[in-house]
Amino acid sequence: MTSKPSTALSKLDRLWLAEAIRLTEAHAGLLEDAEANRHARAGGGDLAQRILVRAERLAERDGLRAALLHWRQAATLLLFALAAFALFTGAGLAFAALGDGQRPVNVFWALGSLLGLNLLTLAGWLIGLGSEAGGAGLGRLWLWLSGKLAHDARAVQLAPALMSLLSQAGLARWGLGRLVNGFWLLVMGAALLVLIALLAARRYGFSWETTLLSTDHIVALTQGLGALPALLGFPLPAPDIVRASSVALDQEAARQSWAGWLLGTVLVYGVLPRLLLTLLCGWRWRRGLRTLQLDLSQPEYQVLRERLLPSGESLGVSDPAPDALPRARPGQAVGAGSGAVLVGIELDQDQPWPPPLPAGVTDAGLADSRQQRQALLEALIRQPPARLVIACDPRRSVDRGTLKLIAELSRLAAATRVWLLTPDRVDPARREEWRAALRELRLDYVDQAPLGWLESGHD
Amino acid sequence: MTEPLRLSVVGHTNVGKTSFIRTLLRSTRFGEVSSRASTTRHVEGASLKVEGDEVLRLYDTPGLEDAMSLLDYLERLRRPGERRDGPALIAQFLDSAEARGQFEQEAKVLRQLLASDAGLYVIDAREPVLPKYVDELEVLSLCGKPLFPVLNFVAGNDTRSDAWRDALARRGLHALLSFDSVAPPLDGERRLYESLALMLEKARPQLQRLIADRAAQAEARRRNGARLIAELLLDVAAYRVSVAPEDDVVAQAVRGMRERVRAREQQCVEALLRLYGFERGDASTAELPLAEGRWEEDLFHPETLKQLGIRVTGGFAAGAAAGAGLDLMVGGASFGAGAVLGALAGGAAQAGRQLGARLLGKLRGERVLSVDDAIIALLALRQQQLLRALEARGHAAQQPLALDDPRDSDWRKAKLPEPLVKARAHAEWSSLNPGAKLEQADRRAQITALARLLAQTATDHHPS
Repeated sequence: MTSKPSTALSKLDRLWLAEAIRLTEAHAGLLEDAEANRHARAGGGDLAQRILVRAERLAERDGLRAALLHWRQAATLLLFALAAFALFTGAGLAFAALGDGQRPVNVFWALGSLLGLNLLTLAGWLIGLGSEAGGAGLGRLWLWLSGKLAHDARAVQLAPALMSLLSQAGLARWGLGRLVNGFWLLVMGAALLVLIALLAARRYGFSWETTLLSTDHIVALTQGLGALPALLGFPLPAPDIVRASSVALDQEAARQSWAGWLLGTVLVYGVLPRLLLTLLCGWRWRRGLRTLQLDLSQPEYQVLRERLLPSGESLGVSDPAPDALPRARPGQAVGAGSGAVLVGIELDQDQPWPPPLPAGVTDAGLADSRQQRQALLEALIRQPPARLVIACDPRRSVDRGTLKLIAELSRLAAATRVWLLTPDRVDPARREEWRAALRELRLDYVDQAPLGWLESGHD
Repeated sequence: MTEPLRLSVVGHTNVGKTSFIRTLLRSTRFGEVSSRASTTRHVEGASLKVEGDEVLRLYDTPGLEDAMSLLDYLERLRRPGERRDGPALIAQFLDSAEARGQFEQEAKVLRQLLASDAGLYVIDAREPVLPKYVDELEVLSLCGKPLFPVLNFVAGNDTRSDAWRDALARRGLHALLSFDSVAPPLDGERRLYESLALMLEKARPQLQRLIADRAAQAEARRRNGARLIAELLLDVAAYRVSVAPEDDVVAQAVRGMRERVRAREQQCVEALLRLYGFERGDASTAELPLAEGRWEEDLFHPETLKQLGIRVTGGFAAGAAAGAGLDLMVGGASFGAGAVLGALAGGAAQAGRQLGARLLGKLRGERVLSVDDAIIALLALRQQQLLRALEARGHAAQQPLALDDPRDSDWRKAKLPEPLVKARAHAEWSSLNPGAKLEQADRRAQITALARLLAQTATDHHPS
């Protein structure tokens, strides 16, 4: 099987594969799909199109696509077998109904054997139409046998997927209905043709028999059944012929009118209903197929959306990070300064500031704005302190600007300590980050107010 | 296709710029997020798309750390008496040696802002309005691009939103966006885009498209989440195991059932996480405290009888516990009226087989175990709670998702909803049972009905 057309997938096939993949993923977890997704994304189009491309890729990889082709072959083969079976059945029905010609044909018995099973299954099908898959036992048998015949383990997953796909769109009853009605159309058509051939080439006598019914009943029944065919021009046996036919009449007129009546009823009650239903199902099937599409509201597809048609993605780094960030320079004043100074940086408003200070300690206020910082730095250059305490709030994040200021301040004092205020709300990780940064600046840090050290120079 | 709107996300270090983008992107993979300062040192772009079209491009930038020194430096660059506008001054700075040295990070931010349509200035609303932040705004405003402040971390109690509002208004920035990237309000994204659309007229159509798309997707996620939960509940409700009545056999079967129900719940949890774009390991659910396996025979469940086409009166249902005599009666009755109708509807084989199997089990003295109502209610509550938590969780959240046992007891008090009651009588609906028929139309219909019910209660919980 290398010919191109037989391996090309129709729209239905592609939807079918997508449904099979969806069911597999819904019941057995996600498939490894990186490659398929790449192809689907590269293919572009809307989400449905991408899902179809992905499903076809996955199906190809897992042999599902091949299974589908096998399945299709098997199904076609079965269809032919089914058609042949229908033709034989039809012919058999006709032969059985008319018998060997030795004895007269019992008309109602013959009619019953020709139409009975057909009408019974028709009734069953019509009742089943209410449910989604439409009680088409024959259709299901065909699906099941196709799976068996496909000789492909993967094909087992295909039939449920097809049913699921079709029943979501309400198409299963029409698709299977087309098959079932087509089958019966063939049966009844074949029966009708064989009837015509037999009636044309052989001589049959017609009679009726009854035990329970009266002759009048039989006349009424004959007239009733024949009324519709009579509208199409089929002969209707006259009441006296019917009455006289309780034993087979050897009259040409009687034989012809009975034969015509039989053909007419088989055509009208056997062939025509099935023909109309086949056409109806075919029409609904085609129409449904045209509008058939993926049901994107399925949860599995919602998950795929993010992977196939991402609503957002990183564009990558456009301006790379530098090897190293600029660092503040550690150091301290060379000469011995005089006095002790306390300064606060970026404290919270709810922090009472300054704390009560011992004598001899200068409060340099806060150094938050540029002006404050400028003024403080200039003051310290003029009068370098012997001891400097810088109070910081570790709730602030450690940034380069603050570290630079702390470093610059510490370079102006003979000795510096950083007082990390301890509001209880500080995240330990943040506090540790402060400590690490201060260690890098080679600065001492304390959690408790270092006012004693500030006053006297030792703890 | 129109050009995407380009926005630079700027701000002080460690205010959650990367988190902000992660949440809008619904991805935990973008950039790196930590509580340490200067985690992001590069510029990284992210595009937000609608149906494959890029409508918005966000640039994550390094945090500003030394705006004060930069402002000093810019003042020195501006010669006295010279009147140059901000962008020209910034251009001169970007050409200078310091832009590659001491102010390299700041230069990256400014360069990116110049190349964007507007800037989003992210603020940690828990911080006081410090002079350094005001200086940052001043440096950024020199770029001559519209600047929209975004207040992040507004979900907590200790925010200083009012102080920030006041300070920003003083600088002429009246339009303020509030968006918590860790716990975004359900309509936070929509409000953010709507505010942007008001201020950036040119980008309005794209932003409207983005709003509509994101709303539709959120709705679809919620619906699908409800459906995943509905499938779980149906699977568990229809789960059934027949065993011999010996104590040790029963105990073993109960253990096995618990395992499987737990695994099934985990499967649902993972599917929900995937649906909401979270990674495995984000959520931890306590071990499911399964109560004793359900000991009542489901054979006498009124629904089972209804399934066979038998009208159930209250007395019949109540007397159903009577015992074996009733079994035979059910058997006799079912193959009378029920079977004929059922055969024509194509359902007889199904119903007959089920009844047959169960009658056989009953006669052999087997026990049928199924999962207790209370457990199903518990599953429903927990999964719904997870769904709600995931909806309200930003993709920037770092703490593992922890759920406590539900306290509200709507489900506990109420009977199981109709679809689950039906499922009790349909062993073939549960993926946990062998020979499950998961694509049955009736099963699908019940799942849809249950999912709608769950989605309804989910919306009842959100007044929005």
